[in-house]
Formats: sequence, C-alpha cells, structure tokens
Amino acid sequence: MVLADLGRRINSAMSELTRSNVVDEKAIDNMLKEICTALLESDVNVKLVATLRNNIKKKINFKDQGPNVNRRRLAQKAIFDELCALVDPHINEKGEGAFKPRKDRSNVIMFVGLQGAGKTTSCTKLALWYQRRGFKVGLVCADTFRAGAFDQLKQNATKAKIPYYGSYTETDPVVVAAEGVARFKQEKFNLIIVDTSGRHRQESELFAEMVQISEAVKPDQTIMVLDASIGQAAESQSKAFKESSNFGAIILTKMDGHAKGGGAISAVAATNTPIVFIGTGEHIHDIEPFTPDQFVSKLLGMGDMRGLVDH
Amino acid sequence: GFGYFRNFIGSKVLSEADMDNALAGMKDHLMKKNVAPEVAQHLCDVVSKSLVGTKTGSWTSIEKTVRAAMEDALRKILTPSTSVDLLHEIQRVKSSSTPRPYVISVVGVNGVGKSTNLSKIAYWLLQNDMKLLIAACDTFRSGAVEQLRVHARNLTKLTEREGGKIELFEKGYGKDAAVIARDAISYGRDRGFDVVLIDTAGRRHNDTRLMSSLEKFAKYANPDKIIMVGEALVGTDSVQQARNFNAAFGVNRNLDFFLISKCDTVGDMIGSMVNMTYSTGIPVLFVGTGQMYTDLRTLSVPWAVNMLMS
Ligand SMILES: Nc1nc2c(ncn2[C@@H]2O[C@H](COP(=O)(O)OP(=O)(O)OP(=O)(O)O)[C@@H](O)[C@H]2O)c(=O)[nH]1
Ligand SMILES: Nc1nc2c(ncn2[C@@H]2O[C@H](COP(=O)(O)OP(=O)(O)OP(=O)(O)O)[C@@H](O)[C@H]2O)c(=O)[nH]1
Ligand SMILES: [Mg+2]
Ligand SMILES: [Mg+2]
Repeated sequence: MVLADLGRRINSAMSELTRSNVVDEKAIDNMLKEICTALLESDVNVKLVATLRNNIKKKINFKDQGPNVNRRRLAQKAIFDELCALVDPHINEKGEGAFKPRKDRSNVIMFVGLQGAGKTTSCTKLALWYQRRGFKVGLVCADTFRAGAFDQLKQNATKAKIPYYGSYTETDPVVVAAEGVARFKQEKFNLIIVDTSGRHRQESELFAEMVQISEAVKPDQTIMVLDASIGQAAESQSKAFKESSNFGAIILTKMDGHAKGGGAISAVAATNTPIVFIGTGEHIHDIEPFTPDQFVSKLLGMGDMRGLVDH
Repeated sequence: GFGYFRNFIGSKVLSEADMDNALAGMKDHLMKKNVAPEVAQHLCDVVSKSLVGTKTGSWTSIEKTVRAAMEDALRKILTPSTSVDLLHEIQRVKSSSTPRPYVISVVGVNGVGKSTNLSKIAYWLLQNDMKLLIAACDTFRSGAVEQLRVHARNLTKLTEREGGKIELFEKGYGKDAAVIARDAISYGRDRGFDVVLIDTAGRRHNDTRLMSSLEKFAKYANPDKIIMVGEALVGTDSVQQARNFNAAFGVNRNLDFFLISKCDTVGDMIGSMVNMTYSTGIPVLFVGTGQMYTDLRTLSVPWAVNMLMS
C-alpha cells in the first residue's frame, strides 16, 4: 500500500531512538532528520515539513522537563500527534462532521479537480458505492469541454447500471448541469453526482465556470479529486480550489500506484479538509473509505498508538 | 534561503563548509520547485565537487558562484546529447525510395495527457503537410476511442482548407493493443499515410502485468519514436515513473524522449522534468502548456533553467 514505505522509515527512525542508550538532543535531532527526509521524499510540502519539525522539537524540549520524564515516550507521542494533525483537519472538533447523504431527500454532490486527476472515474465509483447501499443515484456529465467526456461517463455508468444525464450538443456546462440535476430531482433521486471538467488555478475563466456550475446545482457537498502522485503544486492548487469552490471533502485517487501521497496530505493541511475516500484502481469497485487515525496508525504500523496517546 | 552569503565578497578559496551552508539553501529551493530530494542532492553534490578548492572571482559572492554552477548543472541535465529534428526525420522517410509510415507512439501513467498531446502533435504535423493515421490502441479506458474520434474530427475541420488529411484507425474496446497497432501500420502503409500516431492506455508503472505488455507492443509496432508523456504536476514519483517506462520495452529499446504536459498548471515548479531526465538520461523534447491544439512547444532549456532558479 502507498505510504507504507514512509511509515516504515518513520518507524525505524523511532525505534532507533528506542534502542539508543542516551536520548539526548543529538539523538532526537538524528531521528527528526530521518523523519523529515522521509516526509520530503513522499512529496509533503517543504514548508509543512519544517513546521512539523519545529513543533515536535518544541514539544520535546528537554530543558523544560523534569529528570523523570520518559523521553522516548514523549518523542513518540509528539510525532504521532503531529502526523495525525497533518492528515486530520479536526473536522469533528468544529462539529461539522463529514457530509452524509440522506435517503429522505435529494442530495447533490459536485466533483471538481485538476485535469486528469480521476474525477470521472471516481464519480462512477462513488455512485456505485451509494447505489449498493440503497440510494437511488444519478450521474450528470457537466464536462462539455474534454473530447469524449460524455462517452466516458456514459460507458462507465452503463457498466455500473447507473442512470446518467448529458448532452452531445449543448456546449454550456452550466446548462447541462442545471438540466440534469433538475431532471433527477424531479424523478426523486436521492443522490445526484455532477462531474465537471478538469481545471487549474492559472485559468481564471475555468474557475469562474466552476463557480457558475456550483451556483446552478447548489451542491450539498463539493468534492475535490486529487491524484496521489501530485508534488509540490498540491498546496497552491488545492488552496485555490478551496477558495473558489469551498469543497468539503477530498477523494485521493491512484493509491494503487507507487506514489506516497505526501503532496495530497499537504493539500489536506493547506485546506483543512478531510479525505473521505481513496481510489485504488481503474475499475468501478476500486474505492475505499478513509479515516485519518486509522490511516496514521497503519502508516506507522502501530495499532496500539491510540492507547498510548489517549491518557 | 542563501541571503546570508550575499555580503561575502572577493576572491576566496571555497571550502567544503562554505559549500554545505550555501547548498543547504539551494537544495530546499530546488525541492520547492518539485525537484525530488534525491535529484536535488545529486545536483548539489555536482556543484560542490566542481567548486570546492576553487577561488571565487574577485567581487563575486559565494551565492553568485554557487548559482552559476547550479545553472550549469541544470543546463547539463536538461540539454539532450543529440538533437532531434523530428520533422526532418519524418520527411526523410517520406521521401525515401521505399516510403513507409513513420510511427510515433505515446505511453505514460494514467491521466497525464497522452491522448490530448498526441492530438497536439497531430495538429503540428498536419500543418506540415503530413498525412496522418491515428491508431486508437487504448482499448481499455471508457471513452478513449470516442475521445480520439472527436479530436480527429476537430482536426479535420481545422485544417480542411489547407488540405489536412487525418483518419482514425480503431477496433473498439477489449482487443490487444499490440495487434491493433500492427494492423494500423499496415493499413497506413497500404494507403500512403506519412505518419501513424499510436495512442496507448494509461498504466501504473508498478503494475507489472500492464508494464510487461509494453514489450510486446514495442515488438509489434516497432515505433520510430516512443514518447513518454509525464506531467509537471507529479512529484517525486516522476523519478520512478521514468525509470520503469524506460525499462519496459526490452533490453534493446528505450524511450526516445519525454513530453512534459500540464506545465501551465505548476507555475515555476517545473522540477518533474529534471527528475525524469536525471533518472534516465532521456531528453525532454516537448512541453504541453494548455488544453488547446496549439499548446505544444519544444523545450527551451534556458527558459527551464530560469524558472528553476527564479
Ligand atoms: N490506477 C488508477 N487509475 C485511476 C484511478 N482513478 C482514475 N484512474 C485513471 O486515471 C485516468 C484519468 O481518470 P479520469 O477519471 O478520466 O480523470 P478526470 O479527472 O475525469 O480527467 P479530466 O476530466 O480530463 O480532467 C484514467 O485512465 C483512469 O482510469 C485509480 O484510483 N487508480
Ligand atoms: N492544463 C493542461 N491540461 C492538459 C495538458 N495536457 C493534457 N491536459 C488535460 O489533462 C486531462 C487528461 O488528458 P488525456 O489526454 O485524456 O490523458 P491520458 O494520459 O490520455 O489519460 P488516460 O488515457 O486516461 O490515461 C485532460 O483534461 C486534458 O485536457 C496540458 O498541457 N495542460
Ligand atoms: Mg473527466
Ligand atoms: Mg488517453
């Protein structure tokens, strides 16, 4: 699994500390250096890594600690907390909670993201996920730009036996989106998923179009789709998407690949938005829900970390 | 990050310690540009090796000296050892005594822009009076065939007046890409096409099954040029992507060059092209700078070095 390598390296840096006789500043510095290198090689944002390093150092400042404090434990806890903070935007503390569609009404989810991130593929995966849980789901293709976009969604939807809406002739995505959502609402669908074309922050017209589609379909939830292999551009792009579309969740795709997903983690931190699902392949069933603390525990290969941390 | 050295003026023999300080800042700078840590470290080592023990020019700061050396190192990595004049090569095959279609294929991981940039190359070739056949050898991803059909139709319309000739060769979904590629080429030969452009399905570079099918593909299609499309957005994985694709075509066949797509989406963070050339020695010929047919350029090394050092 992705990030496994990162986890292994962080772990070995931590156990190096456990093995060493003296836990002094030098030992801590060595460990931190190892961890930061591992994070950087996983595409975590350079500034974010620097912050993380400083935070951990502050938390385990030995000068302020009494002689009896367990330094190893202190260090481990600081690292675990900082890593959790990295992937968990504390959505629950604010009481917002991740969005859950309800069956007694029409929920609209809109997909946004960079070109080729995996929006169209993930739309169908998510639709199928909810359809199998008893939702009446419809797919709307509001990508009138990319060649063959409607055919792609249509073929995916057909494979998954999900009703779809789109047009070969209408060129305005706002119109198609509005019509499609209206049609499915009229037919009492519970969940309507709107696919849009890829865009990037450098083209303001494309962002304006995204805002217009959003105003037309009034989504209950906007999801940003991010490729797990994204590098240092993750932060600026996701921030810009956040500002314009105010997406409330992230789907991380291509987690079956070799990339370590650190760029995407940086996007989580930059936008304070949780990852809700991950994509793990090209087929329509290749989707899994995502939970941050499970993720970090798995990352570090330590199921008992929570227990250590909670008291 | 290396402002501290700005005040250091005058001839000075550079020590390893001088280098370590100056290069730590430089490495950070490169990583922010999306250069992978491994590659940034290599570049710093090269610079260090070239400078330790040398004297800075009078009135030259260490910073300036290091910068110049780094620019040099980047230029060396990005500059191809042999120049490629694609049009010229195609022209030569076309006007030889035994003409045959010149075969170009694109490969790469999922969603990087293979099909779109193949269409941009098609547009460029059409403007140079080439008769083109596009082979739809992505027989897996939904809509892949229709995507190319739309491009072929658009390009026909765009170049109709100048007599542009472009056709799509497709056999639908589910069939073996290598076989379709071979059939497309013989179809192209029989009908006097100048170039066959082959699109392929996106594949993860760590998917051994899909990667190993590329060897058969190279054998059947035997392309004159295999272009790997890599995207500017991808981070450190670009190193391994390039390595694995370069190794996928068997012992006697490498990639010919890279096309780095989506350069318009990363600002000055164009480090992925450095990662890919560093890890393979294969040069970048084209960069993709947008979603229109005209958004294709040949790489300007001075531009790239400038972006990376800014
Ligand atoms: N291996 C793998 N491939 C994926 C995954 N999700 C999507 N893909 C592939 O990534 C490529 C791009 O996916 P799309 O769904 O077309 O991406 P998009 O964001 O809709 O692209 P645009 O509409 O052009 O912006 C396709 O080849 C998909 O099959 C995943 O989780 N794993
Ligand atoms: N901004 C920008 N977008 C690009 C560029 N090149 C391609 N794209 C977009 O990237 C998305 C994916 O492009 P495709 O050509 O379908 O990618 P692909 O590699 O063929 O994808 P698969 O066949 O699914 O693996 C599309 O939305 C393209 O418009 C570029 O240079 N700049
Ligand atoms: Mg799409
Ligand atoms: Mg394609």
